[in-house]
Amino acid sequence: MENLLRFLKRYYFVFLFFLLEGISVYLISLNESRQSSWLISIANNISGTFYSGFENINSYFYLKSKNEALVKENKALRQQLKTSYVRIVNNIHQEDDTIYKQRFSFLDAKVISKTVNKRNNFFMLDKGAESGIEKDMGVIAPNGVVGVVVKTTQNFALVMSVLHQDSKLNVRNERTKTTGTLVWNGYSYGIGQIIDMPASILIKKGDTIVTSGFSRDFPEGIVIGTVKDFVKDSGTGFYKVNVKFAVDYNKLENVYVIKNFFKIEQDKLLEDIQNQEETL
Amino acid sequence: MIKDILVSLFHFIILVFCQIFLLNNIYFLGFINPMLYVWFIILLPFATPNWLVLILSFILGVSVDIFSADAGFNAFICTLTGFIRPMLLNFFSGNVDNVTHTRPSSVSLGVKNFLLFTSSVVLIHHFLYFFISAFSFNEILQILLRSVLSSVVTIGLIILLDMVFFKKNE
Repeated sequence: MENLLRFLKRYYFVFLFFLLEGISVYLISLNESRQSSWLISIANNISGTFYSGFENINSYFYLKSKNEALVKENKALRQQLKTSYVRIVNNIHQEDDTIYKQRFSFLDAKVISKTVNKRNNFFMLDKGAESGIEKDMGVIAPNGVVGVVVKTTQNFALVMSVLHQDSKLNVRNERTKTTGTLVWNGYSYGIGQIIDMPASILIKKGDTIVTSGFSRDFPEGIVIGTVKDFVKDSGTGFYKVNVKFAVDYNKLENVYVIKNFFKIEQDKLLEDIQNQEETL
Repeated sequence: MIKDILVSLFHFIILVFCQIFLLNNIYFLGFINPMLYVWFIILLPFATPNWLVLILSFILGVSVDIFSADAGFNAFICTLTGFIRPMLLNFFSGNVDNVTHTRPSSVSLGVKNFLLFTSSVVLIHHFLYFFISAFSFNEILQILLRSVLSSVVTIGLIILLDMVFFKKNE
C-alpha cells in the first residue's frame, strides 16, 4: 500500500497528463461523431450567443456592401418574375399551378462565425433546429455554394464548408455537361479542385462549374465557380481542374439553407436498393 | 502571490479574446493561422507547480475550443504543451533569479534563451495542432508549410509584445 502511494506520488504528473489527454480525446471523439451530445450543444450555445452578440455590432460596418449585394440579387430575381416574361404561345391553355410541385425551399440565415484559414473549416449560422434547419441540408450564398449543415442545436447550426477535407460535392461543367467531384486541397481558400472529370470531352478556361443536381442537398445549376486552369492526367484519363470559387468565403454574411421536400422519399429509395443488394 | 494570480487571469482573458476575435479572423496569404494564446503557457510564473501548469493549459485549450468548431484539438495540444513546458524551461532557464523575476521573458531569461524557449514551445504546439487537425501523411508538406509560417508569425508577435511590455521592468 505504502509502495503504491509512493508510486502514485512520484508519477502523479504523468497520470494527470494522461487523464487530461484522455478527456481531450473524448471531446474530439464527441465532435467527430457529428452526433449532438449535451456537451457539444452547451459549447455551441455559449459560442453561438457570444458570436451573435459580436456579429450584431460587426454587421453595422458592412451595411453598404451588404445593401449592394442585396440590390444585385433583387435585380436577378426580378428578372425571373412572371411579369418580366411575355407569353408567346397563346393557343395552348395550361393550368400552371398544378404542373409544378415545390421541391426546394430556402431559409435565410446569417453567418455569425467562420474560418477559412484552417485545413477543415466550418461556419456557424444564427438559426437552428427551432427554425427548421436539419442535418445534411445544403447551404448557399447569393452567388454560390457554401457547404452542408453537419450539426444543429436549438438556435444555431454548424455548417461544414466546402473548404473541408471531407467535403465532396458532385459538380458539372455547364457547357459540356461532364460531371466531376469537387474537393479542396487546403492551400488557397479561393481555389477548389475537381477530380474525376472525364478528359474525353474538352473543357476550356473560364467554363462555369455548377452543382450537378445528383446531390440531394442542392438544386441543379447552382454556381460554384469558373475553371482557372486544368491538366490532363494521362494515367487515369481524367482532368485535374482548378476552380476559382464564385463566393469569397472570407466575406460571407447572408446565406440560404435549402430544404428538399423530396429528401425522405429519395433516401428511402436508396435505402431500399441497398437493402435489396444486401439480401441478394 | 495574489498579484501573480490576477496578472495570469488577465493574460488568460486578453489572450483568449484576442485569439477568438482578432487572430482567428486573419487570413494573411490564405492559410496562416497564428495562435498567440500559447503565450499564456509560456508566460506562467516560474513558481507555478507542474500540475497547475498542466491543468491551466488544459483549461486554456478548452476555452479556445469552445469558440472554434474543433472541440478537443486545442485542449489536447495545449495539455501536451503544458506537459513539455517544465522540461523546456528547465533546459533554457539555467540559473534565473526567481526573486526579482517572476515570469519568463526576454529580460529574465536573456534574449537568446527566451527566443529558443519560445520558438521550441510554439513550433511544437503549432506543428502538432496542424498535424492532428489534418491527420494525414499525404499532406505532410502542407502541414509543415502551415506550421512553420504560422509559427513565424506567432513567435514574431510574442517577441514584439514581449519587448513592449517587459522593457520597462528592467
